[in-house]
Amino acid sequence: MSGIYNDPIGHWVVVVLAIALLLFVVLTATAYTVWFERVALGHIQRRPGPNRVGPYGLLQLAADGIKLAFKESFVPAKTEKLLYVVAPTIAVAAAFLSWAVIPIGLWYNVQYWIADINIGILLIFGLSSLNVYAIFLGGYASENKFSLLGGLRSAAQLISYELALGLALVPTFMIVGSLRLRDIVEYTVTWGPYHGPIPLILLTPIGFVVYIIAAVAETNRAPFDLPEAEQELIGGFLTEYSGLKFVMYYLAEYVNMITVAALAALLFFGGWYLWFVPPILAFLLKVVLFLFLYIWLRGTFPRLRYDMLMRLGWKVLLPLAIVNVVVTGVILVATQG
Amino acid sequence: MAIAVFFVAAALAVAGGIGVVTFRQPIRSVLSLVVVMLALSVEFLLLSAQFIFVAQLIVYAGAVMVLFLFVIALLGPARETGRGRLRFQAALSGLFVLALLGLLWSMLQGIQYRQPDQGTDLSTFGTVQSIGIGLFTKFLYPFELTSLLLLVAAIGAIYLSRKEGDDR
Repeated sequence: MSGIYNDPIGHWVVVVLAIALLLFVVLTATAYTVWFERVALGHIQRRPGPNRVGPYGLLQLAADGIKLAFKESFVPAKTEKLLYVVAPTIAVAAAFLSWAVIPIGLWYNVQYWIADINIGILLIFGLSSLNVYAIFLGGYASENKFSLLGGLRSAAQLISYELALGLALVPTFMIVGSLRLRDIVEYTVTWGPYHGPIPLILLTPIGFVVYIIAAVAETNRAPFDLPEAEQELIGGFLTEYSGLKFVMYYLAEYVNMITVAALAALLFFGGWYLWFVPPILAFLLKVVLFLFLYIWLRGTFPRLRYDMLMRLGWKVLLPLAIVNVVVTGVILVATQG
Repeated sequence: MAIAVFFVAAALAVAGGIGVVTFRQPIRSVLSLVVVMLALSVEFLLLSAQFIFVAQLIVYAGAVMVLFLFVIALLGPARETGRGRLRFQAALSGLFVLALLGLLWSMLQGIQYRQPDQGTDLSTFGTVQSIGIGLFTKFLYPFELTSLLLLVAAIGAIYLSRKEGDDR
């Protein structure tokens, strides 16, 4: 295996195969996340949810996909053509690129990744900040007041919550001493008789709370889905999009959701380590639980008003994250010298 | 491979730079500048400066340019276009380009390529750790002074954006 990997051509073959496989897995996961969301929301709202196409409505997504793919790809006359077409592709590209640095534990001591770089988490931040362009440009290029306002709102929202998101993770990096996602998962402690990996939420509980709130806001999901608040903005930046271009935004949103859920599992809940559960199952279980948390939030909370959103981001989450960094630093110095 | 990546990124950066000055719509200029920033970040990565690569991506492409976009979008749908050209613009720009090229040429005269010092640990070059150690040991005072300057600028911006008689 390592022989193939050291050969320059074999190396490329391995990397391309790995990328293709990951794309397939993430796309399938996205489809079933949408199904999972619709069923779970249905049960929360005391209705059956999709149950007509295939057993338990499992093929609903295939039907929806075919319908959307064969819809006329309509470009309104007064749009900025180039930007209008490019914007959704930025969303999809940024969403999928994050998966290049996310490691997946397959089995004991066997992990799957495309690029194991030591600035992994920073790269994910960088890519998620490119997501702002997708939404903003989509709103701008549509040449529509509601779209533009939706795009502007989301740009402000993403920039505000990015700060809290980044600072929420700083204590984790301070404790582990690495930005490589695999190092963070493999962080081991020796507490009396116990020696092994621990879920880092035990050490930075506040960091986790800030992270999960900021992450929901970063992915534009309810209750922070202001860019598409339909009472005020119709469909926000999505108003003028239909057919495959709409699918691209939709896809990006769900891929981002899975990315954030996977990151929460990796950064705070010990990734693929869970007692005696096989690693791949443990990882999947944690990701699915976080996805359910997302859906649960959507089924429970009403949407925030815009000023409440900004107040929460700047006056609550950001100071809390900064205090968390300082306190963690003091404790680290006190315990480790 | 690295050479190919270098030339693609360099071409993109130059094309973006030309776009910044030639587009008449401000939004296109800003987007060209984003292309320049992204291309530059790739060049930093080629130089093994991985932290600067990510900082370029997050700070410049992700935050600064988004604020530019914000301002332009808030200027409204009446597309801001330039008010005609200055009369001596072409001749003047030619002069500046000549001066700049002269400077570049004289700067490159004394350049010498050399090996890294013996005993330097190259495996940590450009990593977050090595930059952090540098910032908080050798360059502590310049670093802290810069942060003070930024703080002053932030306070100034808040003060200036206050309305007259707004005592909240």
